[in-house]
Amino acid sequence: MKSGTVIIGLGNPQLSDDGVGIAVANEIARRSELDDLTLLELNGGGIRLMEAMAGYQRAVVVDAMLTGSEPGTVRRFDPDDFVTTKNSYSSHDTDFGTAFQAGLLLGIPLPELVSFWGVEVLECGVFSEELSDVVAAAVPLAAELIVNELKNSEVMR
Amino acid sequence: MTRITIDPITRLEGHGRIEIFLSDQGTVENVCFQVPELRGFEQFCVGRMAEEMPVITNRICGICPEAHHLAASKALDALFGTQPPPTAKMLRELLYMAFFVSDHATHFYALGGPDFIVGPDAPPSERNILGVARKLGVEVAGELIACRKRNHEVIRIVGGRGIHPVAGIPGGWSRSISEGERVVIAEAARMNVEFAKQTLALFERIVLDSPLYQDLLTSDVYLHRTYSMGTVDGNNQVNFYDGNIRVIDPDGEELVSYHPNDYCQQIAERVEPWTYLKFPYLKKVGWLGLTDGVNSGLYTATPLSRLNASEGMPTPLANAEYQRMYESFGCRKITAARYQPIHHRMATHWARLIELLYAAERMLALVEDRQITSKETRIIPRSADFAGEGIGSVEAPRGTLTHHYVSDGRGLLTKVNMIVGTTNNHAAIAMSIKRAAEKLITSNAPDEAILNRIEMAFRLYDPCLSCATHHLPGKMPMVVSLRDNSWSMLREIRR
Repeated sequence: MKSGTVIIGLGNPQLSDDGVGIAVANEIARRSELDDLTLLELNGGGIRLMEAMAGYQRAVVVDAMLTGSEPGTVRRFDPDDFVTTKNSYSSHDTDFGTAFQAGLLLGIPLPELVSFWGVEVLECGVFSEELSDVVAAAVPLAAELIVNELKNSEVMR
Repeated sequence: MTRITIDPITRLEGHGRIEIFLSDQGTVENVCFQVPELRGFEQFCVGRMAEEMPVITNRICGICPEAHHLAASKALDALFGTQPPPTAKMLRELLYMAFFVSDHATHFYALGGPDFIVGPDAPPSERNILGVARKLGVEVAGELIACRKRNHEVIRIVGGRGIHPVAGIPGGWSRSISEGERVVIAEAARMNVEFAKQTLALFERIVLDSPLYQDLLTSDVYLHRTYSMGTVDGNNQVNFYDGNIRVIDPDGEELVSYHPNDYCQQIAERVEPWTYLKFPYLKKVGWLGLTDGVNSGLYTATPLSRLNASEGMPTPLANAEYQRMYESFGCRKITAARYQPIHHRMATHWARLIELLYAAERMLALVEDRQITSKETRIIPRSADFAGEGIGSVEAPRGTLTHHYVSDGRGLLTKVNMIVGTTNNHAAIAMSIKRAAEKLITSNAPDEAILNRIEMAFRLYDPCLSCATHHLPGKMPMVVSLRDNSWSMLREIRR
C-alpha cells in the first residue's frame, strides 16, 4: 500500500553547497503547508535512493547539480530526462534508473510520481556547513517551486 | 609521451579519473588514479569539540558512515582515557557486523559481482543488479534487497538512527537494546547466516565450476605480490572491530604486528609529483615505486589481504570456507592454521564472501550473548583535563581505517589525521590498472573490452573514492582520451 509524499534531500551538509538539497527539503518541511509529507536526508543516489522511496505514492528528490549554468539556477527533471548509460557511475552503486527498474522488477512498492530538482552549485569541494550566498538565496525559490507543484499535482490523498 | 585519460564524467560528483601515460614506444609508463579532491577537512574539524567527531566523520563518506562512526568513537575512548564496558563494545561490533553483511552482499550482487554473475564481456547495461535479477531470477535479487532492509533496520535500532548512526560516545554507547529488540536482531542474524551460505554456494556454482572464470580468477593480469595487512584478534584471527594490525610479506612471513597507536611509526605516505593522491607504504620496507615484490613497501588492505594476514576466521563456517579457498589455490600451510598468501587479486571477490559469512556468524554470536541487553553501556570519563591524543582504528570493508585526534585541555580539537580504507590500496589499484592497460592498450581489443577490464581492475578493490557519494542519473560515466606529445587528440573512446 502506497501513500503520502517523501521529500528526499540528497547531499552532504558538511560539504558547502553540496548540502543545498537538504536545505531545500528542510525549507519545504518548515513551511509545512502540505499534509502527509515525510522528510528524508540521504547521501547516496542509487539503490539506497530507490529503497528510500518505497511505500510512498510520490517522491521528490532535491540535489545539488553542476551543469555549468548560473549558480543558484533551479531546474526540474523527470527521471526520463536523464541520459543514462545504465552503467555504474560509482563502483559502489548503480545509477538510479537501474535501481528503480530493479525495484519494480522485484515488486517493491515504488511511487508512480518521481521528480528531481537540482540547484546549480558554486562550491562543493570544501568542507563547510555554509552555503554560498547565491546558492542560499535559491533555497526559498526552489522550495516554493516544489511546494507549488505538489499542491497542484493530481495525487489524491 | 602519450597520455590517456579515462574520466568518468558524472554531472554531480567527480569520481575516479584514470590517466595512463604511454611512452613514445607505446608501452605503459605510469598510471595515475585521481580522486576528486575535497579540501579543508582538517580546518573544518579543528576547534570543534572532540565528541562531535563520530557524527561529523560519519558524513564524510556516503558508503561507510558506520566505519567512521566506530573509528571516531574508539579514538575518543583513547582521547578521554576510558575503556567502554563490555556491552558497549558488543553493541558497536553488532552494528558493525550488520553493516558488513549489507555492504559485502551489495558488492557481490549489485556492484563488482555482476562482472562474474552476468559475465565480464556482457554489455554494461546488464552488469548490474538488473542483469543479476534477469540471470539468476527475481528471487535472488530480492534476497539482496531483503538483506539490506533487515540490516539497515538493525543499524537503526542499535545505532539510534538509520543512515548516520549517533550512538557512539567516548567511553561507550548511548543506547542499550531491549530483549524484544534482541530477538528481532537475532532473527536477522540467523537469516544473514543462511543468506551468506547461499551466496557462497552461488559463487561456487557460477564461478568456481566455470573454466572461464577459473581462468579469470587465476589470471596473471591481476597478480601482484605485495605485503598484506589486516586487523587480528588475540589469536591472530580476523577481526573487524578491534585488535593489532598485522602485516605479512609476499611469502607469508610476518613482518610486524603493531598496535594501531603506532601507525605513524609503521606507515609513511609517499607524494608523487604527477598526482596529488598519496601512496601509503611500509616504512620498514621502504618505497620503490609502483612495483611489487618483497623489497617494495606497498601493501594492500582488502578482504583478501585480511585473510592472508590472519590465522583463519574465528567462526566455524567461515573458517571452513577460508581453508577451502587457500587449498583450491594450491597454497601450502605455513603455520598450523595459515596458508601461503594468495596474490591473484580477483580472489578478493571470494575473500569478501568469506568475510560476509564471518560477519553473519559473528553477529549471531554477539546477539545470542545475553550480556548484550545489559544497561551498562557507558563509562563516563572522569578527567577534567582533556589535553591529549587519541587513535582509533577499525577494518572498514575496503581496508584499515585510522582516525587520529589531538585535543587541548578543554577537549577542543587541535589536529586531525585520517587514513581511510581505500587510501591504503591506491598504489595497488594503480598497479592493477597498469597491468590491465599493458595487456590491452596496444592490442586490437575493442574499446568496450578495454574499458571493462580496466573497470574490473579497480572494482575488485571495491574502492570508495568519494566522500560525497551521491549523484542523480547523469551523463556518460567513462571517457578515455589518447593524446600525443603535443596534446592533440588521437582517439577518444566513450560510452
